[in-house]
Amino acid sequence: MKVLPSRPDFEADPALARGPAPAMIEIDRVSQTFRTSGRQAHLALSDISLTIEDGAFVSILGPSGCGKSTLLYIVGGFVSPTEGVARVKGRAITGPGPDRGPVFQEFALFPWKTVLGNVMYGPRQQGVKSPEAEAQSRRLIEMVGLKGFENFYPKELSGGMKQRVALARTLAYHPAVLLMDEPFGALDAHTRTRLQNDLLNIWERDRKTVLFVTHSVDEAVFLSDKVVVMTRAPGRIKQIIDIELPRPRRRAELLLDPRYQKYVVEIERMIDDTSEDGLRP
Amino acid sequence: MMTRALSRLAPLLACLGLLAIWQAGSLMLNTESFPTAMSAVRAVPSILGDKESLVNILDSLRRMAIAFAAALLFAIPLGLMMGRSRLVASFFNPLLMITYPVPKAALMPIIMLWLGVGDLAKMLVIFLGVSLPVIYHSFQGARAVEEKMLWSGAAMGLSAPQRMIRIVLPAALPEILTGCRTGLVLALITMVTSEMIARQSGAGNILFNALDMGQYDTVYAMIIIIGAMGIGLDAAFERLRSRLVRWSEPGFDIPLSFA
Amino acid sequence: MNARALTSEVLLGIVPIALALAVWQGISSFGYAPVTLLPPPGLVFSRLAQQLGTSTFQYEIASTLFRLFAGFSIAVIMGVGIGLAAAASPAVNAVVRPIVRVLAPLPKVALYPALLLLLGFGHESKITLVAADALFPILLSTYYGASMVEQKLIWSAMAAGTPRRQILFKVVLPAAVPSILTGCRIGLVISCIVVFLAEMISSTDGLGHMLVTAARTFQAVDMFVPLITISLLGLILNGLLQGLRSYLLRGFPEV
Repeated sequence: MKVLPSRPDFEADPALARGPAPAMIEIDRVSQTFRTSGRQAHLALSDISLTIEDGAFVSILGPSGCGKSTLLYIVGGFVSPTEGVARVKGRAITGPGPDRGPVFQEFALFPWKTVLGNVMYGPRQQGVKSPEAEAQSRRLIEMVGLKGFENFYPKELSGGMKQRVALARTLAYHPAVLLMDEPFGALDAHTRTRLQNDLLNIWERDRKTVLFVTHSVDEAVFLSDKVVVMTRAPGRIKQIIDIELPRPRRRAELLLDPRYQKYVVEIERMIDDTSEDGLRP
Repeated sequence: MMTRALSRLAPLLACLGLLAIWQAGSLMLNTESFPTAMSAVRAVPSILGDKESLVNILDSLRRMAIAFAAALLFAIPLGLMMGRSRLVASFFNPLLMITYPVPKAALMPIIMLWLGVGDLAKMLVIFLGVSLPVIYHSFQGARAVEEKMLWSGAAMGLSAPQRMIRIVLPAALPEILTGCRTGLVLALITMVTSEMIARQSGAGNILFNALDMGQYDTVYAMIIIIGAMGIGLDAAFERLRSRLVRWSEPGFDIPLSFA
Repeated sequence: MNARALTSEVLLGIVPIALALAVWQGISSFGYAPVTLLPPPGLVFSRLAQQLGTSTFQYEIASTLFRLFAGFSIAVIMGVGIGLAAAASPAVNAVVRPIVRVLAPLPKVALYPALLLLLGFGHESKITLVAADALFPILLSTYYGASMVEQKLIWSAMAAGTPRRQILFKVVLPAAVPSILTGCRIGLVISCIVVFLAEMISSTDGLGHMLVTAARTFQAVDMFVPLITISLLGLILNGLLQGLRSYLLRGFPEV
């Protein structure tokens, strides 16, 4: 265990000595402008600041076109912000890296690789030797419930199964942060619930930091520690709500829990209230 | 603004660049059989000024135009029907598959045997050459038309032939026009090739007579003329196409031309 | 689709071919056309079978195939290379794009006399013509396929730690394979056609040359033989490419 050099001000106050949970992601005054085909500039994100602690499950919730996916892409390093800076573990983000693993709504699996090939891609890219990468990948495939499908091609799988593969592929290179871009948006209601439950179970094992973009209020409340509600374009943070529901969460219990219902209703009201949208300076 | 003007001028710049490479290459090789670009370009007006050559070239173009039009009238309806009916498609597909790799211009000697060396033989060959890609693209275009669009048409009381003309044809138009564009360049190629093989008259014949007589400037000048016809016809058709199907997504913006 | 429907479709497809053969046979056996103009199909096919056994005919096929493959291979290598480069680099794109715009609609066969003058009457000029004609469909479909690669596929690979310069070979190229193969298929048909034409225009051997020789002496039977041979070659090569395609694309959804 690494011992930190002692700092006098921390020693003075025992509460501070524990310190706040270290920030995994810091988004600092980020704005994003896109040039559309004409000469018009479209402001997608306006002055976003957000800090996400290590091990937190944070959802970004907002109407379509509010720039919530763009925010995720900025953290992923796929898009660089027009203004402001995003940091992961204190370092400014300059590009994609294996510390931040994306899971997209469109699955984005490599169609020319089998399930096993897809999951092995990351470890192989990290320089893990083939037999070891295969063993790891097989374990992950089993964990996401796809044992027996290792040699299937993505086209032979259903949407829910494809998303399980995509999750396993991302987990395989051990990212510190999972970036999930409406991952269950393309799935039917039943598959969606099952995947939500399974995602929580997997998450409970090692509590990675998760940034989860969705437009479903239920999903956000059910999964998250924190819900960030955004306004219509240009996207701003409207409010951040801490979801203080006990974990591990069971869907059946939660649906009957008045606290859960209250969160859902409160957030839905907040989204319906458009009076603030686009009015702040 | 600058970049826009540049991108419009780019093909012209490319032409000049290619001519410059030619010029430099011929100066370096310095053989009689590879004249400079300059001297080839200078020979162009004398060919076009010569009455007999001009009549020959215009004759070629007339045959090409007639055969092209006839091919469209035949190929588009056939392609559309194949696209909408499995039966028609499976009836014609194997036949098209075995005729596809046969060079149409190579039928020239046989067709000449039957029809003589007149216009009819040449036009028939061009007709065959143009038909295949147009049928193929019309087929693909009609096949991709969404079933639900036709259901709505039927619900609105359109009969089957009406649906074909008012829904399938416009919906498949971008694909059909892509086929026509390929067909147009193909018509030119088949025309030149059949004239090279038949050696009776026309642009291809001038080209090869010049080659036989060692008039190298004329050979290269004819290549420039035929090349310019290809590029010009294609550019003109592309303008027409982009007007007709302004609503559609641009696909390939360069045609896939071949013999 | 079940096997029975498939069989009936195949049978239906054979009908027009059988019909054409029957009409052909009918015309010649009822004496509407003299044998010198239209030999009966039986005669043509038995001549083909007999020719296939002779070493001279095999030699003609071999020289045609050699030119075809040489030209086609050059076209594939250059087409895929330039297409990928143009999709990956804006600078290459800016140069290649206008040149392709000019050269693609150019009737390449018109260049053949120049190629004859520069490269002589041997293999080189024909191979160059085949390559020039087959190049553009392959180049264009490679470019098209490579520039249409789903952005999120590239992002996924980058997040997994793929360096930028490897993305082209690890993601873009494999993702463009379906499109590249479509281009190759067009290019292959073009190669068949062009090699035959080039041999007809000027050659001392090859299938095209056989046709011209037969035409000079009005041997109708011998004119049909090379034509049918090139059609069969085209079908076989296309079938082989189709096999390669379904192997390489076993993971891709049907197009």
